[in-house]
Amino acid sequence: MIKKIADRILKSYCHPDYYPDIQGDLDELYFDRKNNSTVAQFRHLFEVIKLFRPALIRPFYKNSLYNSTGMFKNYFKISFRNLIKQKAFSIINIIGLAVGLSAFLMINQYVMFEKSYDRFFSDSDRLYRLTTDQVLDGAIGTRDAMSFAPSGPALVDRVPEVINSTLTYQFNELVLRVEDRSVKETKAIAADSNYFDLFDYKILAGGDPNQMLKEPFSIVLTESRAKAYFGDQDPVGQAIKILSGFNQSFKVTGVMQDVPEQTHYKFDVLVSISSFQEDVDEDGWNSFNYYTYLKLAPNTDIDELRGKFPRMFELSGEEESDSNLEFNLQKVEDIHLYSDFTYEPEAHGSANTVLFLNIISILILIIAWVNYINLSTAKAIDRAREVGVRKAIGANKMQLIIQFLFESFMLNLLAVVLAIVMAQLSYSYFNHLVGKEVIENIWLNQLFLVKIFAFAFIGAIVSGLYPAFVLSSFRTVVVLKGRFRNSAKGILLRKGLVVVQFSVSLVLLAATFVVNRQVNFMQSVDKGIDMDFVVGMSRPGYSSGNREAMRIKFEQFKQRLLDHHAVENVGFTNSLPGGDLSDISSTTGEVQIIGKTDLMEGTTYMQWCDDGYFDAVGIRMIAGRNFDAEMVSDSAAIIVNESFLKRLGVNDYESVLNEKIQFGENDDGHKYRLIGIMKDYNRTSLKNRVEPTSTFYNTYANRVVVRLTPSSYQEGLAHLEETYKSYFPNTPLEYDFLDERFNNLFQEDQQFGNVIATFSLLAVIVASLGLFGLSAFMAINRAKEVGIRKVLGATIPQILSIFYREFIILIALSSLIGIPLVYYTMDGWLNNYAYRVDFPWIFVGASLLVVGASAFITVGYQTIRVAVKNPSETLRCE
Amino acid sequence: MKKYQLGEFEEIVLLTVGVLYDQAYGVAIKADIESRLERKVSVGALQSALRRMETKGFVESKSGEATAKRGGKPKRFFYMTSFGRAALEYNRQVRAELWNAMPDMTIEMKFS
Repeated sequence: MIKKIADRILKSYCHPDYYPDIQGDLDELYFDRKNNSTVAQFRHLFEVIKLFRPALIRPFYKNSLYNSTGMFKNYFKISFRNLIKQKAFSIINIIGLAVGLSAFLMINQYVMFEKSYDRFFSDSDRLYRLTTDQVLDGAIGTRDAMSFAPSGPALVDRVPEVINSTLTYQFNELVLRVEDRSVKETKAIAADSNYFDLFDYKILAGGDPNQMLKEPFSIVLTESRAKAYFGDQDPVGQAIKILSGFNQSFKVTGVMQDVPEQTHYKFDVLVSISSFQEDVDEDGWNSFNYYTYLKLAPNTDIDELRGKFPRMFELSGEEESDSNLEFNLQKVEDIHLYSDFTYEPEAHGSANTVLFLNIISILILIIAWVNYINLSTAKAIDRAREVGVRKAIGANKMQLIIQFLFESFMLNLLAVVLAIVMAQLSYSYFNHLVGKEVIENIWLNQLFLVKIFAFAFIGAIVSGLYPAFVLSSFRTVVVLKGRFRNSAKGILLRKGLVVVQFSVSLVLLAATFVVNRQVNFMQSVDKGIDMDFVVGMSRPGYSSGNREAMRIKFEQFKQRLLDHHAVENVGFTNSLPGGDLSDISSTTGEVQIIGKTDLMEGTTYMQWCDDGYFDAVGIRMIAGRNFDAEMVSDSAAIIVNESFLKRLGVNDYESVLNEKIQFGENDDGHKYRLIGIMKDYNRTSLKNRVEPTSTFYNTYANRVVVRLTPSSYQEGLAHLEETYKSYFPNTPLEYDFLDERFNNLFQEDQQFGNVIATFSLLAVIVASLGLFGLSAFMAINRAKEVGIRKVLGATIPQILSIFYREFIILIALSSLIGIPLVYYTMDGWLNNYAYRVDFPWIFVGASLLVVGASAFITVGYQTIRVAVKNPSETLRCE
Repeated sequence: MKKYQLGEFEEIVLLTVGVLYDQAYGVAIKADIESRLERKVSVGALQSALRRMETKGFVESKSGEATAKRGGKPKRFFYMTSFGRAALEYNRQVRAELWNAMPDMTIEMKFS
């Protein structure tokens, strides 16, 4: 061992010519000692160390692979001198490249993060989610992320490619009692015992993962929850009481790793679905409230499988004509970015946003590279003489290309250093901007560092190659005679690149304005309800045993709240405004107003509320009346919204009042008397149209809205907290204001707006830096022309207009490219929203103005600097 | 004028190379010096002396056969060049002249 190390050391420093025989001598001596003892080995090592002498070590320059080290030293020196000499040029380029690189890579990290969702399971490429499509007249209607409970096992039996399935259910929330504390878990799911076979999270305690969810009333905790509940105690075997829904003690059967951010289905506690097996069985093929995941056999051709996948009626035993629902398979890895079904378990990401950011980041990088190309070809004139001299003393073209590439490498390397510093300083802001902990620490992020060097390398070649060819192709005689001018072709290219930069800046600025406009619109638009000083919260539910007692308690609670002068209205509902898409129930069955319309298929959303709800959130009735607690018949009454009637084709609202509404085609099913029609209001994000909604009367609904008097709302809140505590001491109170809930819904869009605003700004800054440098060179190059013009009597405004004329043409060209581009992309983006602003042309004009103004200021500044000079200075030397 | 630059250790090595004639490679030279002069010689000192003398032209070398004992590495045999021999002779001559030039007094002083 020691001998081996010694030999390696020797090889590393020994002169390659001497190495074989010295190593041979050493081996022979070592061999003669005839033992392999450690002492002998150390002696060997000692000899090797003593061999480290100037006469024997590897030379530094001679004998290396390149014999042109001297040339490289010279390139380095010249590059360095040029960097120092042209400070403005170097600083513009380095800052531009650094901003470009760090922005590009940070966005790249975000994109990778978004794309990495659900890829950490060992078989993630074979995991599919079974979803349900509503098919109306052959066209796919509502696509729902949920599925019927029996479908998973039925498919495993029937389709050989489906090798396993798991059934899961997502709770709205669970209220747990651990020892003497009550906790509310908002991320809780139930699953069957196959769950860990599909999603192989790391199990930290509890034994066989496939047994942990078998028994009813089992609960599996994530590591952080186990720690929070039980501290250092062994959580396995402990009891946790689940109050909401169950009122039953559960046994902790296992502890698993924390669920990472990168999955669409997050949870903190997991209970066995067998704990409510009767409910699951009852739902059967009747209602689909479950998420089913399937695992396919390896190498399954998914398109082929889709082709032969069974129809839903074949499994459910319905008649084909009765069923308008079909199975659909969705790749788990794609859910986060590509799925926009109803009832997603969480707000999903957007592939478009990711694409958009990706494009912005590439554009910023390109702008920075364009700066380099532009500036280094523009200042070619400064280097022309050097090239001429080099060529005259025998440099060939290849050497010159290498030299200029080398320069570009140096610049990029300096930019990398700055970029890393920038990224390190700004990554927490970036995380804040995108709302996720995407980047943790730049120094520890090896991938980031590797990438930054890789892209600097690519950038050095991409942006360095063209200038290198241009600079190296000067003809010696022409250059040295001093009759050198920039070629027309080069000027054209430079102008083309400037047009690209202008267009990109224009597009990004306009996009920023459009996004901003839409977000503001969504926040300020009339949503049909009045949410100021309205508090939403949930309260405990009831179980079948204490139904009547709880009803009385709820009623008392409501009265007690209303007693206070700062509480204006109190209402119960099952769906708070400002919630997710999936915060509401729905039925896919047929519906008709008896005698007025035909049966019509389509998703109808359903909510339940009491008589106080409409007033509490300020929903306006446009026909008919509110529910009335005094009227017993109102338990079979229904209030619908305008969208509901519009879909049925009813325009005369008064004519359908007091008619009966029937759900399902079975005419002896439930019928409801239509007593009121409410104005449409936005329940959730404005991406979605107002859903056709029917509202039923129910005093058990477990969400509460409380309207407070604006002037004394704080007293009202205090009263609310106190009353709640006295009535429901076991359940913690969590409330928020409804307008805040809505603002949270727009958070994603707002974030998107902030992200593109930030990066557009960066892009524009980098582009103007480049323009600043470029116009400086152009102005200096034309200094003589300006001088002559001045001598002949031109005024400064006249000179300015000559310079501006060129840029006006460039800006006009870039608006020709940019405006259609921005219209096409941003109008498409706005179309994502059911309620959108008109395309704001005025903001496109404004962005054009900003781009134009920044160009005029930079060009003007540089031109005036030259134009104010005394012609005697500029014309003196020739 | 300094005609030959030959250090004390170099001289010993060069002489040994001469003694061993066509068997003078690293290990043999080292062993010979160690046995005759009863002094330790490190491989490093020996090798750097040999290489130095090679660049000065006192010795020349050629690659020999490789043996398993040497880990498959060849021996490098060193031969004294005539220039090297001249250097040795010059050294001896200089010493002899110095001996001859030494007055007897020095010897007497040494004995007194």
